[in-house]
Amino acid sequence: MIGATAGSAAMYQAMSSLGFAAESTYRGPIDLQSAPRGASVLILGAGMAGMTAAYELRNAGYKVQLLEYNARPGGRNWTLRGGDRYTELGGHTQQCEFDKDLYINPGPWRIPYHHHGMMHYTKLLGIPLEPFFQVNYNAYLHSSAAFGGKPQRYREVKADYQGHIAELLAKATRQNSLDASVTKEDQEMLLESLRQWGALDASYTYAASDASSDRRGYEKNPGGGLSARPVPSKPIALHDVLDSGLWSGVANGDTYDMQTSLFQPAGGMGRIGEAFGRELGTLIRYNAKVTDIHQDEHGVTVAFTDSREPGARQTVRADWCLCTIPLPILAQIPMNVGQAMASAISAVPYAAAIKAGLQFKRRFWEEDDKIFGGITYTDLPIMNIGYPNTGFQSGGKGVLLGAYVWGMRAMEFTAMTPPERVKKIVGYGSQIHPQYTQEFENGVAVAWHRAPFTLGCFGMWTSETRAKHYEDLCQIDGRIAIAGEHASFLGGWQEGAVTSALDAIGRLHQRAIAQGERA
Amino acid sequence: MRKLALVPALLFLVAAGAHADSPLFTSRATLSSLSGEQIYEHICQGCHMPGGVGAVGAGFYPKLAANKNFVSWTFVALTVLDGRNGMPPFGFPEGQGMKSGPTHLTDAQIADVVNYVRSHFGNAYKAEVTARQVAALPHPKAELIGPQ
Repeated sequence: MIGATAGSAAMYQAMSSLGFAAESTYRGPIDLQSAPRGASVLILGAGMAGMTAAYELRNAGYKVQLLEYNARPGGRNWTLRGGDRYTELGGHTQQCEFDKDLYINPGPWRIPYHHHGMMHYTKLLGIPLEPFFQVNYNAYLHSSAAFGGKPQRYREVKADYQGHIAELLAKATRQNSLDASVTKEDQEMLLESLRQWGALDASYTYAASDASSDRRGYEKNPGGGLSARPVPSKPIALHDVLDSGLWSGVANGDTYDMQTSLFQPAGGMGRIGEAFGRELGTLIRYNAKVTDIHQDEHGVTVAFTDSREPGARQTVRADWCLCTIPLPILAQIPMNVGQAMASAISAVPYAAAIKAGLQFKRRFWEEDDKIFGGITYTDLPIMNIGYPNTGFQSGGKGVLLGAYVWGMRAMEFTAMTPPERVKKIVGYGSQIHPQYTQEFENGVAVAWHRAPFTLGCFGMWTSETRAKHYEDLCQIDGRIAIAGEHASFLGGWQEGAVTSALDAIGRLHQRAIAQGERA
Repeated sequence: MRKLALVPALLFLVAAGAHADSPLFTSRATLSSLSGEQIYEHICQGCHMPGGVGAVGAGFYPKLAANKNFVSWTFVALTVLDGRNGMPPFGFPEGQGMKSGPTHLTDAQIADVVNYVRSHFGNAYKAEVTARQVAALPHPKAELIGPQ
C-alpha cells in the first residue's frame, strides 16, 4: 500500500502521476442566455455542485429550488468550530470544544490557484483567502523505523537526497559514463547545473559546507556580532536517506495540484458553503431527505421527508432535475432512469478517509519546533499532521489537523468510536511531537464513511469503470442530470464539483431551450 | 504508463521494511493474519456497525443482523469481493486496485469473514465457506490505473 510508506506524501505524488488529478476545465463565467420563460430546475443537494448550479440557473432566469439533507449548506464544504455538534452514523455525537476562532475542516482544506472555478466563486462571494502552505521546509518527514523514530526536517531530507544524486550524476559524467547520451559541450553545462542544483562543492562533492548548509540548514546559524560565525551541518549519508524511505516525501509539493500557490478561506473552508447558502436564501429547503425521484414526459417529481417531522411525505416538482446526491445514497433512492445511468450510479465505490482536529493549550509546534503552517508526513497511521496556516504567534491555544488518513487505516479509524479515534491519534502524534502529552485539550474526529450525508469521502474510479460508466453517469437521462465531484476527473476536489455542475447545467440549458422551442 | 506502474510496487517494498504499527492497527504485513472476526471489527463495522445493526442517514448501511440475503453465501462473498454501490471492493489482487489505497483480503480471509457474518448477529447459517469456493468466484480485475 502506497500510503503506508514513510512519506505518505508519496501517495499524493502517486495519485497524481496516475492521473488522479487533472487540470480544471473552468474557462470563465458560464453563459446561460435565453432561458425559456418559467422553466424550473430542482436541484438535489446544497453542496458545491448544487449551489454553483443553483446560483447560475437562478441568475439565468430559471425557477430554482434545492433540497438539502443537512440543516446547513455546503455538504463536504464544511468547518467544525467550537460549539458545533456533529452526530455520525451509529449515533455518536461529538461536541466541538474548540476556543473561539479555532476550527478544523473535516473535508476539503486547500484550493490550488489553478482551480479556476473555485477561485472565481470565492471571489464572487467575497471570501477572503489566506495562503495554504503545502510545503514547509521546516516541517517533518517521519518514519517510525528510520533515524530511531526521530522526525527529520523536510529541508534536510530534500537537500541531502538532491545533493547525493547530483554528486552521483556528476561522478558518472566525469567518468565518461554518459558520453553516449550527452555531448561534451552539454556535459560541461550538466556539471555546472548539478553543482548548483545539488549544492556541490568545487570538486562536485556533496559534503558539509556553506553551500550544502545553505540548503539543509546550519549546525549553528549565521548571526551578527561576535557570535556570528556559522557552523555547517553534516548531511545524512546517501544510504541512510535511501534506506529511510523519506525520499518518497520529497516531491510532495511538486504535483500540479499541490504547487504554490494554494489557498484556504479565512475562518474555514465552510465559509464558502455558508456564503453560497446566504446568497441562495430560501431557495434551499434544509432537513429534506429525498426518498423518490420520478420523471415523466413533462417534468420531475421528487418525494422527500422533513427530518424534523418524520413520516410526512412531501413532493416537489420541476421541469428539470440536477441531482448532486453522493452516489452511495443515490443508488438507494428509487429513480426511473435508464439502465446505463443506473448501472453507472452503482459502479463507484467511495473512499474511506478520516480527519481529526486537536486543540492544544499552546502552539508548541511554532514556539518549540518553529513550524509555521504546512504539513508533516509520517508512516504512522495518522499519516499527516497539518499545522494551522493562520494565527501565527497568536499566543493562546491552537488547533492542528492531527490526522488525515485514507485507505485501510481510515477504515480502521472509522470502525472505532470518536473518542477512541482521538485517543489513538493523540498517542501516535506524541511520537512526533512529545508535547502532545502535556498540551492536548480536546479533539474531534470525522470518519467520512460514517457521515450521514455522504456515506463515504469521494468516488473512486478505475480505468475500467471510467471507460464503462463515466459518460453514462454524465449524460442527461430524460430530464435528470447528475453533477458532483463523482462526475469529474477531479475526484475529491471541490473544483470537480463546480466544473461538473457547470458542464451539466450548460447541457440542461440547451435541452431546455430546445424543449421550449418545440412547445 | 508502464513506468508509472512501478511506483506502487517500489514504495510497497519500502513499506514492508518499515512498519511499526501498534497492535490495534493492521499493516500490510499483519492484515493477512487477521481472522474473520478481527476483520469485521477492524474494517466492516466502520459502516455496518458493531453487532451488524447497520445505520440510516440520507442513505443506509444494510443491517447484517438477521439478514435474509445471507442465505446465499455467494451473495455475501461477491459483495465483499466486488463491493456493492458505494461499498469498496476487497477482492483486488494485492498491490492493485482502487486509487486511494486498496485493501486486499485473501480468499481465505473473505471466506472467514463471510463465515463470521453468516454465523453471528442472529444469522445461523451452518455451511462453512472455503477459500477454494471464494477463489472460484469472479474477482475484480487487476488493472493499471492510468491517465484516462
